[in-house]
Amino acid sequence: MTAATVPAPSRPAPSRLRRTLALAGAETRLLLRNRTAVVNSLLLPLFFVALVPLTDIGGEGALGPRLVVTSLGVTLVFLTYYNLVTTFVARREELVLQRMRSGELSGAEVLLGTAVPTLLVTVAQVVLVLAGSAVIGEWAAPVDVVLPLLALLGGTALMTLLAVASTSFTRTPESAQITTLPLVLVATAASGLLYPLDVFPDRVAEVLRFTPVEPVVELARLGLAGQTWDGQAVDWAGAWAAAPQPLLVLGAWIAVAASVSRQVFRWAPRR
Amino acid sequence: MPLTHPAPVPAATGRAAPVVEVTDLRRRYGDVEAVRGISFEVHPGEVFALLGVNGAGKTSALEVLEGLAPASGGTVRVVGADPVRERAAVRPHLGVLLQTSGLPADLTVRETVAMWAATLTGPRPVEEALAQVDLTGRADVRVRSLSGGERRRLDLTLALLGSPRVIVLDEPTTGLDPESRRTVWALVRQRVAEGAAVVLTTHHLEEAEELADRIAVMRAGRIVLSGTAAEIAATQPATIRFTLPDGAAPLPAVPGAEVVSDGPRVELHTRALQPVLTRLLVEAAERGVVLGGLQARAASLEQAFLAVADGADPS
Repeated sequence: MTAATVPAPSRPAPSRLRRTLALAGAETRLLLRNRTAVVNSLLLPLFFVALVPLTDIGGEGALGPRLVVTSLGVTLVFLTYYNLVTTFVARREELVLQRMRSGELSGAEVLLGTAVPTLLVTVAQVVLVLAGSAVIGEWAAPVDVVLPLLALLGGTALMTLLAVASTSFTRTPESAQITTLPLVLVATAASGLLYPLDVFPDRVAEVLRFTPVEPVVELARLGLAGQTWDGQAVDWAGAWAAAPQPLLVLGAWIAVAASVSRQVFRWAPRR
Repeated sequence: MPLTHPAPVPAATGRAAPVVEVTDLRRRYGDVEAVRGISFEVHPGEVFALLGVNGAGKTSALEVLEGLAPASGGTVRVVGADPVRERAAVRPHLGVLLQTSGLPADLTVRETVAMWAATLTGPRPVEEALAQVDLTGRADVRVRSLSGGERRRLDLTLALLGSPRVIVLDEPTTGLDPESRRTVWALVRQRVAEGAAVVLTTHHLEEAEELADRIAVMRAGRIVLSGTAAEIAATQPATIRFTLPDGAAPLPAVPGAEVVSDGPRVELHTRALQPVLTRLLVEAAERGVVLGGLQARAASLEQAFLAVADGADPS
């Protein structure tokens, strides 16, 4: 007997965007129902900004751009990456991911839809720091806006993919506190996030420029503060002249993280 | 005629082309082969039940049909396409009820169904879907507050919310009360009447008898028995039981029957119930013997299932 051939659906299928937004909307609704999480998400960046006049750490020139660079890096690591690892693992262990994948949503749509609330909070926190810096008079016009936007987009993409990959060695949401430590430590200690890389010997600093979060920090700093990784002041042309290496390193990390994620991610708990 | 592995489970002839074709399907986890070469077809408007004890390989086989796991060997086609490699083409035609699955606990029932509907091609109206499984009154309740049975009905609603041509139901009525179970059966029958093909696993044998046109019984990853419920039951002998009156001489042996007696209590096992019973009654009448507590019972699906589960080779 001849096999059936795949018939075209009698009605048009929802677009990828519509499917993803349907799940993202539900996930955002879940976030908004958690008032503590919402309030903390909004208060944390404002507290960050309020520390500047309270502790008089402004120093020379506008602090705002440097504050946004730091808050971008910190938010990507401590919120985006950590939160997504715990969210994906919790959804996997609760069998929600498997349920979502049993319908018409593709795997990428399930992961992106689940990640949307965290990504929205990431952007909101950076914007709040930026706006707060302006309010306290610590803002200065950026050297370039494209490089910081590329840092934000590339950074969120990389953190999402690294979170997906990290679920393969994270059995429970609680154990994410341990399994996320390597990236958190590398990012805070060796990516120019909390102190500049030029405190390291030149050869060490050159190697550290290849760590995953460093190119995000470097691109954001080039565009917002007009500073290279080793602290030299640059104009728009100088910022773009210094951008190819961090752009390539960030692109390479995204490609590697995407490839590893595809190979190691599990949709259901280990049997 | 029932067949045993490795021949494919036959489908009725003269029907529309199969929408599910499984050929020599294998599924391996490391050194363990959970599915060892099973084959079957399912046609539109047909219910096919896979039975077997826990660990027989049913869910492992279904996961390949559902496109959730690749086969280790063999081929699976759902509406003519590979459900894993051609997932996007198959999905709009496939409704899946997983054996266990989760849903976001803090969404309400209505929000959950509406979200799911927004991801589907041609979904049914949300309120109609809720009414079909008696969840209208619970529409504004969060999923975490539902009982196990209500959650199972919500799962079923999601599986049937689109317009699937193939429906895969992995133990659909586990945890449901008898009334809810009948609601589910009615819903499945309705979809089948509309032309859907259903692949079903269940531990409730009466559910398989009630719903399935054809049944396959799996053991250790293989289909060891298949056919209609009656054909499968017929692989086991029928039983005749009676008690002889005090002092009565034993009845002569009846050809085609195996006799097991325990004092006056007698049990005959036979694959030819009617002629053996007729012969027995004639003998008893001729000798003027009254057979106390006479019972004659055809073999049941349960008997056949238990025989397979115990490791007996099907006849």
